[in-house]
Amino acid sequence: MIRAYLEVAKKSFQNNITYRMDYFAGVINTIVMIFVNISIWKAIYEEEEVVGGVQFKIIMAYLVLSFLLQNIFTMEDYLIEGRVTTGLISSDLLKPMSFRLYVFSYNIGSLVFKAVMQLLPAMIVTVALFGMLPPFSASMFIYFLISVVLGYLVLYNLNFIIWISSFWFYFTFSLVTIKDAAVMILSGALIPLWFMPQWLYEFIKLTPFDSIFFVPISIYLGQIPAEEVFTSIIKQVAWVAVLGLVGHILWKAATKKLVVQGG
Amino acid sequence: MSLIKVENLVKDYKINVKKKGLVGAIGSLLVPEYKMKRAVDNISFTIDKGETVGFIGPNGAGKSTTVKMLTGILTPTSGNVEIGGLCPYKQRKKNASRIGVVFGQRTQLWWDLPVIDTFELLKHIYKVPEKVYDENIELFSEMLGLKDFINQPVRQLSLGQKMRADIAASLLHNPQIIFFDEPTIGLDVVAKEKIREFIKYINKEKGITMLFTTHDMQDIEKTCSRMIIIDHGTTIYDGTVDQIKNRYGKTRTLIVEFGQVYDKIDLIPGVEVVDTKDNKKWLAFKKEEVHISSLIADLTNKYSILDLTIQEPEIESIIREIYEGGVNYDKSLSGGGKEVLSK
Repeated sequence: MIRAYLEVAKKSFQNNITYRMDYFAGVINTIVMIFVNISIWKAIYEEEEVVGGVQFKIIMAYLVLSFLLQNIFTMEDYLIEGRVTTGLISSDLLKPMSFRLYVFSYNIGSLVFKAVMQLLPAMIVTVALFGMLPPFSASMFIYFLISVVLGYLVLYNLNFIIWISSFWFYFTFSLVTIKDAAVMILSGALIPLWFMPQWLYEFIKLTPFDSIFFVPISIYLGQIPAEEVFTSIIKQVAWVAVLGLVGHILWKAATKKLVVQGG
Repeated sequence: MSLIKVENLVKDYKINVKKKGLVGAIGSLLVPEYKMKRAVDNISFTIDKGETVGFIGPNGAGKSTTVKMLTGILTPTSGNVEIGGLCPYKQRKKNASRIGVVFGQRTQLWWDLPVIDTFELLKHIYKVPEKVYDENIELFSEMLGLKDFINQPVRQLSLGQKMRADIAASLLHNPQIIFFDEPTIGLDVVAKEKIREFIKYINKEKGITMLFTTHDMQDIEKTCSRMIIIDHGTTIYDGTVDQIKNRYGKTRTLIVEFGQVYDKIDLIPGVEVVDTKDNKKWLAFKKEEVHISSLIADLTNKYSILDLTIQEPEIESIIREIYEGGVNYDKSLSGGGKEVLSK
């Protein structure tokens, strides 16, 4: 059965190659975003060597990592909505496979595409332009990789909840926009959370958002003390589980609605 | 042994009542109002293995709802559905590998990828053995002419090509039952004919049971042996296509081309002129009341005649009359599909 899902991921990878323009735009967009953000922070650092106890080269590394991750973490926000509004969801549910795993495999296919085809060239260009701090230590690099996978899963499960709401709302553009804004600000994608006011930082640590980008990048940069790395990762696992459970309940409700109320 | 068994099937929907005007629309947004609507009302029928059944009825009659319950995507409010011993809505996944569904209005093919890619994906999803897959691809390519476009992305295909590819896609795993939902909608005559021929062939060769919903009577006449007509959620006819013609199609039309233009002609009782054009006249009569031979004999005696054509009523016009309530359908025919079909 695994074979079928691998096949879905493969087709999704193939699907991504179709649009050449979009591919190049994706690479260029990542590079430009990194350049712009580094320039902004450079202006801030003009006055002082160290802001909030953080050196400029750490910020630079943070931004490069953040935007590269953001690029490969991009998901198909309207895949499920499209299936629901066109009614194709019926055909999907009439396949002898799990639709949820189908959607997941589809996104994994895109992820692999972006990692191989977009991340590599973007990484080479930005590292050549801005340089890159090596990981804090070898063990931290391993933790970083684990944390990145978990970060992806947190974002995926969060996204899934938004996507599945299309069974009730049919049109989820506003919800997706709000979600994107929340992720952008609260996950530390744009501004490292160290610079947030203390109360906001404390609040964000209670949400799943910091698990997405902030935790893995901080681990890479050695900004999380070694003894706290483990708890950070456990927290990520917990969020994957909690959001996954909410998604599961919503999915059950959505399919129930579909089979009782029709498409 | 019946493959599909439907007993006293009922489906109620909760529908959102939208109020009129802007104020009403805002009101509906804040406080939605619902009412119940019965889409399918106590339908029963059985279908044997290898049968081809046309499922027809006006828009909103409850066809799609019934088909959805047969596929397992919708749970009935009450009643029973059984497909080859399985309850489709309880064992949807298990049922799914034994059925195929074709929707004429939407495609299950991957939009940006060549057709063959979707086929390959389906091969893995349905775990179709390599040999069966290759055989089917070859058969379908030949019969549906897929060869010309199998390597083209779906978005570049014409409607007819897409439809052909979709039909092939739903048959790759050799399903026992296939549901067609308006498979010829929007296609030209040649494409329609090709699809009908293919469907007939597949039914004969593979013994696949088929259920059609369509508005095109030609689809039914050319591919189906049996027809179930549904209106307002109930079965109003279940029997063979020929039988409905015999029962309801009692009028015949004789088209006569005279040697010269006659303003008025003298006819035997029971025959009337329904239309005139130049030297042609359309004469309508009931086939039990008037013998066609005596009508022709009478005409040839009195007038010079160049040509004669007898027209049977089109199934389409019979159906139209049934929908409009013009024909009082015979209750004894309803639900009698079984009896009608025993040869």
